[in-house]
Amino acid sequence: MASARKRSRGESLALRYAILGAWALFCLVPVLWFLSIGLRPRIEIITPQPIYFPTFSLDAWHMIWEDWPMGKYLRNSVLAIIGSVIIDLILAIPAAYSLSRFEYKGRDDIGFYILSTRMMAPAIVAVPIFFLFRNFGLLDTIWALMLIYAAINLSFVTWIIRSYMLDIPKELEDAAKTDGAGELRILWEIIIPAILPGIITASVIAMIFAINEFLFTLLIASTPDAYTMSVALANFTGGSDGVIYNAIALVAFLAFLPVFLVVVLIQKHLSRGLTMGAVKG
Amino acid sequence: MSNPDLSATGAANAAPAQPTHRRFKRRSKRMKALLPYMLVAPAVLYLMLITLYPGIFAITQSFYNVKFGPWQWAGFDNYTRLMGDYQFWGALWNTLVIGSISLILQCIIALTLAFYAYRDPWVQGWRIIFLIPMLFMPSAVAFIYKLAFLDARVVADLFIRLGLLDGNVAWQSSIWLSRMILIIADVWQWTPFLFIIFVAGLQAQDEEVEEAARLDGASWYAIFWNISLPMMKPIIAVALILRAIDITTMFTNVFIITKGGPAFGTETISYFIYRTGFKFFNFGYASAASVIMLIITIIIAQFVVKRAFVSART
Repeated sequence: MASARKRSRGESLALRYAILGAWALFCLVPVLWFLSIGLRPRIEIITPQPIYFPTFSLDAWHMIWEDWPMGKYLRNSVLAIIGSVIIDLILAIPAAYSLSRFEYKGRDDIGFYILSTRMMAPAIVAVPIFFLFRNFGLLDTIWALMLIYAAINLSFVTWIIRSYMLDIPKELEDAAKTDGAGELRILWEIIIPAILPGIITASVIAMIFAINEFLFTLLIASTPDAYTMSVALANFTGGSDGVIYNAIALVAFLAFLPVFLVVVLIQKHLSRGLTMGAVKG
Repeated sequence: MSNPDLSATGAANAAPAQPTHRRFKRRSKRMKALLPYMLVAPAVLYLMLITLYPGIFAITQSFYNVKFGPWQWAGFDNYTRLMGDYQFWGALWNTLVIGSISLILQCIIALTLAFYAYRDPWVQGWRIIFLIPMLFMPSAVAFIYKLAFLDARVVADLFIRLGLLDGNVAWQSSIWLSRMILIIADVWQWTPFLFIIFVAGLQAQDEEVEEAARLDGASWYAIFWNISLPMMKPIIAVALILRAIDITTMFTNVFIITKGGPAFGTETISYFIYRTGFKFFNFGYASAASVIMLIITIIIAQFVVKRAFVSART
């Protein structure tokens, strides 16, 4: 009896690692294969018979820096993303403070309205937003990208920060209040330092979504002046040349590495951030 | 999550500021009542600019015929045409089919993986591997699958080598195979999203309850199914809703991999709006489709999302 149980325990352990290992392989193999695409010459990508062991080549690396203004795309991405995160934090921190620390009429409805903007399909608002930016002469500028990324992420950022603020014990504030500190001072000197992990988590997630954004960027950016990495990829289709896959692969890894590094750093907070604070992992 | 040390120093710093603030306080009792509204107002106004304004704009535009020239009043024309447009209904149907298959697969896989991973210290060490697909730009992922299935035909080649196929597959000429590519790409990229949330949810549960059940002789599987899973329900609901929102707005993969084909069999509602608006420049018509989507979104938001987020918090 005892040995039977032990054996079934061992079998289930083998099953566990088989399943987890299989999924890990499924995650990794396409990535490694795509890396090999980035490091091979173009003629070895689309062939009658797929080539699994290509010759090593840095063709694509030279191509993206020399034939394309990749530096410019990178700069556009970085500026638009950082700008959008700053806008988000300026708007979201006071809003989250209001939603988490005050009792007033309509508070929950306002909170839900902010949350619900996350549900808007980009395609629904795409046409009006396009006209809005056109009227302001902002089409094809990184300003437009900054504003739209900020708008997309604002609900997320507000709710994440709100969730972290709710965790702060009320006594801390009360102590400061009896000392005579005003609300804004409490926000600045007590709450913000205490929820720094939440603010960082929210910023990282906002950055990832901004890097990934595709539809709006596609509509707003029409020249390299405003192309970001994400949309630049779609333009590596090179017209008559067909899709330039090795360049695409390298750019994809270029964008992936920094994201991967920050996610490793905030790993513990990731699930909480991704659910806007609904899961306290 | 709060950091007591940091907060304590913050409180100490705040103390010297009293005199000025007392004066400020006396001066403005009314200000105080308005303060929470003033704090939340900038964010709300900003969001209205991208939701309320576009909503009103889309509703207005949907009653006009907008192509290149001036707007022409069209009444309900756009809507009546839309109701009879099989491509519009097709797009709704495709979104539903692709989205629900993809979501169900992701949920089952993520739950299975989370079930096997959540109490295993060894797995926690390399769990980050599971997150990698999610951290690639969606447009890059779309190209990975376009290349693997269509352009380089690697997938078919591998199946042929394994003896599972005896010739090349014309993925693009079959609606279901094309949908399958979209589903695989989505499952590959976004199962990690559900996985990490489920793992966090499971880990947050009280280990002692599980231990007690185990001492009573319950199997791992029974514990998971009867104890852990029911407690996870609110978390699963929130995670699935967030995922469902993104799946129903699926655009990038369609744009890059299938372009909606063959025979509009993979055209999602987002791609339909994009195509009518920005390829055929039929903005009034695209707006009418947007308005219908908007109404569906609001209904779902009110009845499903509100409830899920409220219950996850209690």
